[in-house]
Amino acid sequence: MTYQFSWTVLWSGQTGAWLLQGILVTLQISVLGWLAAVALGIISGAFRTVPIAVLRWLAVCYVEFFRNVPLLVWMFFWYFGMPPLLPEAMREWLLDHGAEFWAAVCALGVYHGARFSEVIRAGILSIPKTQFEAAVSTGLTVLQAYRLIIVPIALRLIVPPATNETLNLLKNSSVALTIGVAELTFQTRQIETYTAKAFEALAAGTIIYLALCLAIATIMSRVERRVAIPGMIVRGQSSEF
Amino acid sequence: MKRIYFFWLISLLCIAAGGSSQAETTLEKIDKSGILTIGTRRGSPPFAYINQNNDWVGFSIELVEKAVLPALSKKLNKQIKLEKKESTPQTRIPLLTANSVDLIAETMTDTQARRDSVDFTLTFFVTGAQFLVKKGSPIKGLQTIANRRVAAQQGSTNARIVRERVPTAKLLEFPDQPAAFQALAQGQVQAYTNDGIQLAGLRAKAPKPDDWAVVGDFFSYEPYGMAMRKNDSDFRQAVNVGLMDAISTGRYFEIYEKWFGPKGEVPYPLSAETKRFLQMQVVPK
Repeated sequence: MTYQFSWTVLWSGQTGAWLLQGILVTLQISVLGWLAAVALGIISGAFRTVPIAVLRWLAVCYVEFFRNVPLLVWMFFWYFGMPPLLPEAMREWLLDHGAEFWAAVCALGVYHGARFSEVIRAGILSIPKTQFEAAVSTGLTVLQAYRLIIVPIALRLIVPPATNETLNLLKNSSVALTIGVAELTFQTRQIETYTAKAFEALAAGTIIYLALCLAIATIMSRVERRVAIPGMIVRGQSSEF
Repeated sequence: MKRIYFFWLISLLCIAAGGSSQAETTLEKIDKSGILTIGTRRGSPPFAYINQNNDWVGFSIELVEKAVLPALSKKLNKQIKLEKKESTPQTRIPLLTANSVDLIAETMTDTQARRDSVDFTLTFFVTGAQFLVKKGSPIKGLQTIANRRVAAQQGSTNARIVRERVPTAKLLEFPDQPAAFQALAQGQVQAYTNDGIQLAGLRAKAPKPDDWAVVGDFFSYEPYGMAMRKNDSDFRQAVNVGLMDAISTGRYFEIYEKWFGPKGEVPYPLSAETKRFLQMQVVPK
């Protein structure tokens, strides 16, 4: 038994274009999902620490519900569960204009939003309580204190775990293939269908994900160094990447 | 940093090399273990699926049990047992290559591209692509799907043909039958294309079979074969002899009748043409 490797299938014919298309779609859903996740994460992470019980309770519900239901289920929910609730004309329009793409963005956004929320909460909790008290005592409202002082500091503290979460989000975007989004993993499977070269296709997918993640990690480590607050997160430059 | 890349390259190479260092033939492997391991499906009625009694059964599986196993037992002079593993369109070739299974017996279409990677037995079933639609749908076949939303199964030959022949159709590919059928039932798509027999099977298992219709002429030719590792002609010969014996003795047609006859799981009468084709694959002893 010998398996004949033929790496040329990865760039001959249409396969190269498919891989590029897959990378593009993966990046699109990841970036849009990431923006949604960060926005939701900041809001609910901040809510969890404010001295207003209703908001805290609301944020706890959001986090626990959305992070404890599998991502796959969220994909199915946004794709199969949401459209029937919309009016007929809107549904048809949406289904004709890439409903699966937006369902994937929503699923990634709310799921990772709940996870980002915990990261941001941890960041906020690591800021000494006196900082908040000092902010309020200068006459700022709670909203202003959060918007101008607490959240900006927290965001500068949470870069390492946020990088982690971002990398997870990128890789989790592959779950979107279950609802038919033609992202990177989908395209590697398609190459396998056309060429029956499963190992080559999988290896290409693996290397591309690895490269994308390494690129993100590199950028984020630059960001980390630039925004670090001396005395709060930097402890020498030993973590050189 | 460089070292990390290097480590990755090495581990990838190890994975790649692991798949190809194998001297034992499949017959030797089966002789040693006494087990034939097949890769098959859990959700492709009536070829391979879990039935109401929670048994893993189907036409393809029964064909292996009643045609292939006896031939192998005879050839190796000992009782060979059957072991079943789940395989999907994406995993079946890697499963074979990694020696995890010896034979793929499900609903795999024999194609020229696939023959570059695996070998096939003779054809044991013939079907072609059609569409499953809600009864009364305006979709009547390949000519009527332009600009419509059509589901297909990922990794199937049908998706490829739709993409090539009707590029204006909005093709959505799902990883398995249940997801594709769900999309059809909810109106996410207006038709679901797959091999005609699989659609008939899906329709028969649907809560209300009469709500659905399988429409259109075959727009592809899908000969099902069992796949095995390449360049293992002794094993291939043994499996083929089993299938040929089953066809020439008529046992194949009994099994066919059980699954596809008027009282079978999915009634799908054997055309005279197909029957003749199957018989003509049997070479003289």
